[in-house]
Amino acid sequence: MTNLTIVNSQVHLDLRVSPQPTREIAEMNAVSVIPREFPRLLAHYPIFFLKSQESGRFEPVALLGFELKENLFFTQGRWDVDYVPLQIQRQPFSLIPRAAAAGEPASLDLAIDLDSAQVQPEGTERLFSADGKATKYLEDRASILQALVSGSTEAYAFTSRLAELGLLETVQIKVEFVDRSEKTLQGLYWIATAALDKLTAAQLMGLRDRKYLEWLYFQMASLAQVSQLVARKNRLISGVAR
Amino acid sequence: MSPADPIRRLVVVGGGTAGWITAGVLAARFPMRGPNGVSVTLIESRTQPPIGVGEGTWPTIRSTLKQIGVSETDFLRECDASFKQGSKFVGWVDGSSGDSYYHPFTLPVDYIERNLAPYWLEGPRNPSFASGLCFQTRLCDHSLAPKQITTPEFAGLANYAYHLDAGKFVPFLQKHCIDKLGVTHVLDEIVEVVLDGAGAVSELRTKSGTPLPGDLFIDCSGFAALLIGKHLGVPFISCKDSLFIDKALAVQVPYPTEDTPIASVTLSTARSAGWIWDIGLTTRRGVGYVYSSAYASEETAVAELRSYLGAEPAFRAININSGYRREFWVGNCVAVGLSAGFLEPLEASAIVMIELSAKAIAELLPGLRSGLPQAARTFNEVFQHRWRRIVEFLKLHYVLSRRSEPFWVDNRQGSTIAECWRQHSPWHEDFTQREEVFSAASFQYVLYGMGFEPEPTPWLLNDADRTRAREKMAEVARHGESLRATLPTNRDLLARIRKYGLQKI
Repeated sequence: MTNLTIVNSQVHLDLRVSPQPTREIAEMNAVSVIPREFPRLLAHYPIFFLKSQESGRFEPVALLGFELKENLFFTQGRWDVDYVPLQIQRQPFSLIPRAAAAGEPASLDLAIDLDSAQVQPEGTERLFSADGKATKYLEDRASILQALVSGSTEAYAFTSRLAELGLLETVQIKVEFVDRSEKTLQGLYWIATAALDKLTAAQLMGLRDRKYLEWLYFQMASLAQVSQLVARKNRLISGVAR
Repeated sequence: MSPADPIRRLVVVGGGTAGWITAGVLAARFPMRGPNGVSVTLIESRTQPPIGVGEGTWPTIRSTLKQIGVSETDFLRECDASFKQGSKFVGWVDGSSGDSYYHPFTLPVDYIERNLAPYWLEGPRNPSFASGLCFQTRLCDHSLAPKQITTPEFAGLANYAYHLDAGKFVPFLQKHCIDKLGVTHVLDEIVEVVLDGAGAVSELRTKSGTPLPGDLFIDCSGFAALLIGKHLGVPFISCKDSLFIDKALAVQVPYPTEDTPIASVTLSTARSAGWIWDIGLTTRRGVGYVYSSAYASEETAVAELRSYLGAEPAFRAININSGYRREFWVGNCVAVGLSAGFLEPLEASAIVMIELSAKAIAELLPGLRSGLPQAARTFNEVFQHRWRRIVEFLKLHYVLSRRSEPFWVDNRQGSTIAECWRQHSPWHEDFTQREEVFSAASFQYVLYGMGFEPEPTPWLLNDADRTRAREKMAEVARHGESLRATLPTNRDLLARIRKYGLQKI
């Protein structure tokens, strides 16, 4: 359950938060990501596209595991690579739309989920200093959330252009693990390289001008991480400690 | 003109649903334009005001739209279209409370492999035939959509067609045909049909003075039947001896609230002298009473419609003259749409017949004039069969009823069309054409939905198939329940499509 409350320096002056994502947060096999994290992500995670259950639009995701709720990057209670996707880093905060009078521009409020396991008395981070000023930790969360809002708009513009140009295609990723078990991942999409090769110069320029070309090559490069993800799963299967 | 002349200039007369579907199908099939290619020209006297009747289609419409190159998202948004998963007949058996059955679009389970109907028939009849053998009825019961927002355009988790606003569909197709397919649109009035020495139509003289020459003329001029009727004098074969309905009262009904469910089926409710259609679009319902004036006066019909709606109907009256032409393709003229024929909309056969005709013209179109007689022969044979089969299938709905009003009693008089199904359940071999309009599945849904009782012939059945039927029916129930848990309602999905669109892949 979530219990979203707008952050307030008086009410939450003494509130403490642990910056480490908890198991509840981490239990997922894919996390939605935004293009500006692609360069950092591709050092660890394979990036694919999948359809949002809400809108059916394509969104980029970092693949974390092969089974439902399997996150191979989260072991022994912590994230074990140095770059954690922003969607995880922002926890336990959210932006919620402020009820606006007619004609007023919509605005967003910073809120915290008080039921999150990251909210704990022994947490290392505070939201406010004693004089009620926002801490750097809180300011960073707010800017991560802002980045996610604009990044998600950018991501949808990116993927709808890709779809328009026929640059996305469905892909089945079939992997075999050390114990000979097999897994086929369904519902994933990637760049249709054959279609990419057929783009006109003008279309390519259009992609380049919006940084889309760069982003799609980052995505393609990240696919090398699929075998690293299989290796993680294999280590888990054979019980090898890292 | 000589028999060796090429057929390159296709002229469609009339800009209604038939005209634009036909122009679209032909233009998409023969995309080469210019002096060495094929031209498609549509001429209409003026833009008709939109009628705005909600119309039902068949699942074939999905492949037709896809072939024409229309996006499903654009189509749904611009034509106020909703998903249609079949028909539900209410009160047709005897009019008692709870009297209803489905004719869903999804085929009965195992349909390609074996006929499980005889095994359902020897069982307790509960669930009903359609619910026992087809998971789709569960979706229809709850006004669920046949797909999810993540399902690509024109794909579905259950077979579906659309309900659409014909008044919006026509301008939608028109724009697409002109902008994307290179159809030439001529707004002009035809004043004379000019023949060549061989008796073929060579050109149309118009009011503006610019003649419109052509090699093949497609008459989509509606009831006016400018070429097939007025000019060629091909006789009209009336079906009123078999199908009694000759009047319709049509109304548009708003939804009471913004979240009133949008039905997954065309609802057809039997009344004293006919039946009431009820079609849910995204924005409103289209409702109408089709009846026989020999059995009900307009006052009686209005009263019955009023009691159905619970409100005073602001109706529009329409005459229905059921029947079709003796031939459809004569020389270098072929009739498509209302000029070819019209029947009561009980099984929504109007648009599907347009699609089938357009497709047949595209496939039979000879390259040279010398090929016209052969194409005409084949086309006429196929479509005479199709119209006959539709009339027979519509009649089947009536003869199986046990309703007691004179209209219904008289419908049963002297008709033996159901008798052939007494000792034998409809199956693939019973149908001779490659693309029958109504397949064995449709016959089964209607016969057993209407409570038709065949003679038991247990010696023709076996235990292996009996077991399989039981397993398949359990599978249908499981599949239906799992879809029920995952599919959105029609209203929810249509709102999301309006907002986000569907993906092409």
